[in-house]
Amino acid sequence: MSAALSLSSVGKIYQAKSGPVQALDGIDFSIGEGEFLSILGPSGCGKSTLLSLASGLEFPTSGNVALSGKPITHAVTDIGIVFQTDVLLEWRRVLDNVMIQPQIRGLDMKLYEQKARDLLALVGLTGFEDKYPHELSGGMRQRVSICRALIHDPPLLLMDEPFGALDALTREQMVMELHLLWLRTRKSVMFVTHDIQEAILLAQRVLVMTPRPGRIAEIVEVDLPFPRKPETMETRRFVELVAHVRHLFERHGVLKKY
Amino acid sequence: MKTRWRIPGSLDGLLVGAIIVVLWEVGVRVGNVPNYLLPPPSAIAQRMVQDIGSILYHTAATTLEVMIGFALAIIVSIPLAAALAQMRTVERMLYPVLVASQTIPKVAIAPLLVVWFGFGLAPKVLIAFLICFFPIVVDSLIGFRSAPKEVSWLARSMGTTRWQNFINFQIPAALPHIFAGVKVASTLAIVGAIVGEFVAADRGLGYQLIVANGALDVTLSFTVLVVLSLLGVLLYALVDMVERWALPWHVSQRAIEGDGR
Ligand SMILES: Nc1ncnc2c1ncn2[C@@H]1O[C@H](COP(=O)(O)OP(=O)(O)O)[C@@H](O)[C@H]1O
Ligand SMILES: [Mg+2]
Repeated sequence: MSAALSLSSVGKIYQAKSGPVQALDGIDFSIGEGEFLSILGPSGCGKSTLLSLASGLEFPTSGNVALSGKPITHAVTDIGIVFQTDVLLEWRRVLDNVMIQPQIRGLDMKLYEQKARDLLALVGLTGFEDKYPHELSGGMRQRVSICRALIHDPPLLLMDEPFGALDALTREQMVMELHLLWLRTRKSVMFVTHDIQEAILLAQRVLVMTPRPGRIAEIVEVDLPFPRKPETMETRRFVELVAHVRHLFERHGVLKKY
Repeated sequence: MKTRWRIPGSLDGLLVGAIIVVLWEVGVRVGNVPNYLLPPPSAIAQRMVQDIGSILYHTAATTLEVMIGFALAIIVSIPLAAALAQMRTVERMLYPVLVASQTIPKVAIAPLLVVWFGFGLAPKVLIAFLICFFPIVVDSLIGFRSAPKEVSWLARSMGTTRWQNFINFQIPAALPHIFAGVKVASTLAIVGAIVGEFVAADRGLGYQLIVANGALDVTLSFTVLVVLSLLGVLLYALVDMVERWALPWHVSQRAIEGDGR
């Protein structure tokens, strides 16, 4: 299995006004083709930075990032990104926000409009196609941005805390929808989150990070059977994995021990 | 749900205006203020009807100057701002010059413009243009730069060309800011034209105002002032209408809609 995305001894230092900030240090991992990898860590540990390196929107100060074996030198376009904020275009209606992808890429608009409608229906936004973003709730907006990341059927999907703004119920539902979608399409996914349960439930492997500078604490294999369901969270193995990650965080001082 | 009777939002301004007019009229009559100090609204209205011919003539002259100067400012400022937004170094070089040029009072250079361009339409249009130019450039420039980092990241991840980026992201994001600048300019354009007419003119509301003042005809002065402010309000309303039509998604309208519920 060839790695879709691989990072080797990657470091990233930002030149902030107050001086250099070491965001990442010695990052080594790869995402195989069709693999679902969760990146788990507290805020400020460099998760978003990792995502911007993987998409060629920023470049590492040391080490290498490669996509299908080729080093990344430009913004990667064969990719779907869900940013931490929804980044919807306020002047476009919901459908047109999704359709910006095929429009910019010069794809068949008729064909993709049906696809966009199907995707919006999948995330429960039927009837909202002609609304402006400001008429939507935070959760609905993020769902639109997920549709926008999926419409051109990219082989690699990068998601930065996509469900962070959702209420707990919608969140669980979206997690399951994403899982089913992944089972169906088997895209490579890099899923950034700070939620331990979400990270484990979705992934084949969970990359656990520690902050300042962002380093890899451990890459945890998630040996839970597919398809995963909400009930999976009640299984013994799941609870063990959650406890294992929790202890990792405690050991690195991310979580306090009581 | 209980609904209370409310004044429609669009009439708020008119209502306040009406109250001011009534207070003015009553105040002048009760206080026995002579007409040569402060004429009552009724006298102004009467004068407007009486002199409608000459007032319309001068209004037309001023309107022409205002519209040309204003339109010219829009046509020049927005593309200039769009170009500056693409080239940071050029902006850094030109911006101080722009600001410096703006600190020169337009009133001070008006006589010079008359010397250069004569007594006709040109100097008035030019002053209106100069006075409108700056707010539109400044606000448009802010607008063309207003897209957050994530938007340009999104654009790059789709592989946009510079042109696609400009059309699909920069311009729509800039429009609310551009309209804000144009609105400010719409009120300034009239000031510019009047300043030009004060210096040298044989027509226009500024000219008529000078004549009325010279003749100590205070009622005519007030009549002209009323026409001027009406002209200003109309121009502003025109820009506002275009904005509502062009930017149905825009935030400021969102706030007003929310207020109405
Ligand atoms: N553009 C930037 N300039 C300077 N510092 C940055 C920049 N982006 C991120 N950082 C810093 O890098 C660290 C990691 O940030 P980030 O990747 O956003 O973390 P996370 O997504 O895990 O919350 C933080 O300390 C943050 O302040
Ligand atoms: Mg982040």
